[in-house]
Amino acid sequence: MIGEHLLPLRLQLFGGALLLAFVIWVLRLIRHHQLSLRDSLSWLLSTLLALVCVIFPQSLRWLADLLQVEVAANALFALAFLYVLFNLLSVTIALSSGAIRVRRLSQECAMLRAEIESLRKSVGVARREEGS
Amino acid sequence: MKTLIIVPAFNEARNLPHVIASLREAAPECHICVVDDGSTDDTSRVAGRLGVTVLRSPLNLGIGGAVQLGYLWAYTHDYDAAVQIDGDGQHDPRYLPQVLPLLGDGRADVVIGSRFLETGGFRSTALRRMGIRYLSWMLRLRCGARATDPTSGYRAAGRRAIALFARSYPSDYPEPEAIALAVRHGLRVQDFPMQMKPRQHGESSINWWKTGYYLVKVSLALLLLPASERNWAFTSSSASEES
Repeated sequence: MIGEHLLPLRLQLFGGALLLAFVIWVLRLIRHHQLSLRDSLSWLLSTLLALVCVIFPQSLRWLADLLQVEVAANALFALAFLYVLFNLLSVTIALSSGAIRVRRLSQECAMLRAEIESLRKSVGVARREEGS
Repeated sequence: MKTLIIVPAFNEARNLPHVIASLREAAPECHICVVDDGSTDDTSRVAGRLGVTVLRSPLNLGIGGAVQLGYLWAYTHDYDAAVQIDGDGQHDPRYLPQVLPLLGDGRADVVIGSRFLETGGFRSTALRRMGIRYLSWMLRLRCGARATDPTSGYRAAGRRAIALFARSYPSDYPEPEAIALAVRHGLRVQDFPMQMKPRQHGESSINWWKTGYYLVKVSLALLLLPASERNWAFTSSSASEES
């Protein structure tokens, strides 16, 4: 009963379909190797949680009561905000570790370049000595 | 003592010949390695013509990544000491013969050139000096390090410090953090009085709003010193596996 007041059936269906489509999209990206499973776990988990909230709107009312939020819709907004925040942070974490790896790779690359250069030089010297 | 001089250079083609020449004159027995940090001018070509080792990074890593590249080279080629000197001509290499023995006889692991222990020379603006004082105080408070010139880029590192810096080195204005890192790992950090010169060509890469960012970033970094050694600069590298 309470659930019906909180989310009209049409909105509930629309929200559920949207989230489901999103999950399917994420899964598709993983299967096509455009998104690593590791980095997408946060999206999958949080989206599934959101789906639970849409399917059982009572859980929102329950959560609002727990947090002592007067209007359940406000709890929903707070939740949506947390959802984005959580996923944004996990993206930033992935970005940071990516930057560290790029830095290390560039350093290795620079060292290899220098090694090649010195090898080339010594080979050149050896050839010249052979020739003379 | 096998010594490597690390010269990080970003678009320093004009300064390099002079810097290398004075390095060779002051410390003829040291090897020199120029770290070309993704320059867009012909820094690496100029350095190559001067006959020094050139480490040319494909990307601009920033001073932290560039200096660490030098330490990595020193570590993999088994140097006893590594000295970093800026490629903009501010640092006078004639102090090297006095600095290196401090590392050699085990009195210090890291020696930092300080322009505030002796009078004279280039000392930067009053406002910036205040910032440096504050950072020095911060370092002492957070890890008991005594460094009068924590932003100085003139430093010498012994074997233990080379191994540490090759494994982990802070990025983005790394100088004060590197001191904290060294002290936290039980290395002895020592100041050495020296005079510095204003840069010879080109603009300094630090302007007023960057100075503000610098202070905030470094303060935060020192406040949030990692709880454990593992977390330093998200260490995950070939160097850590080698050691």
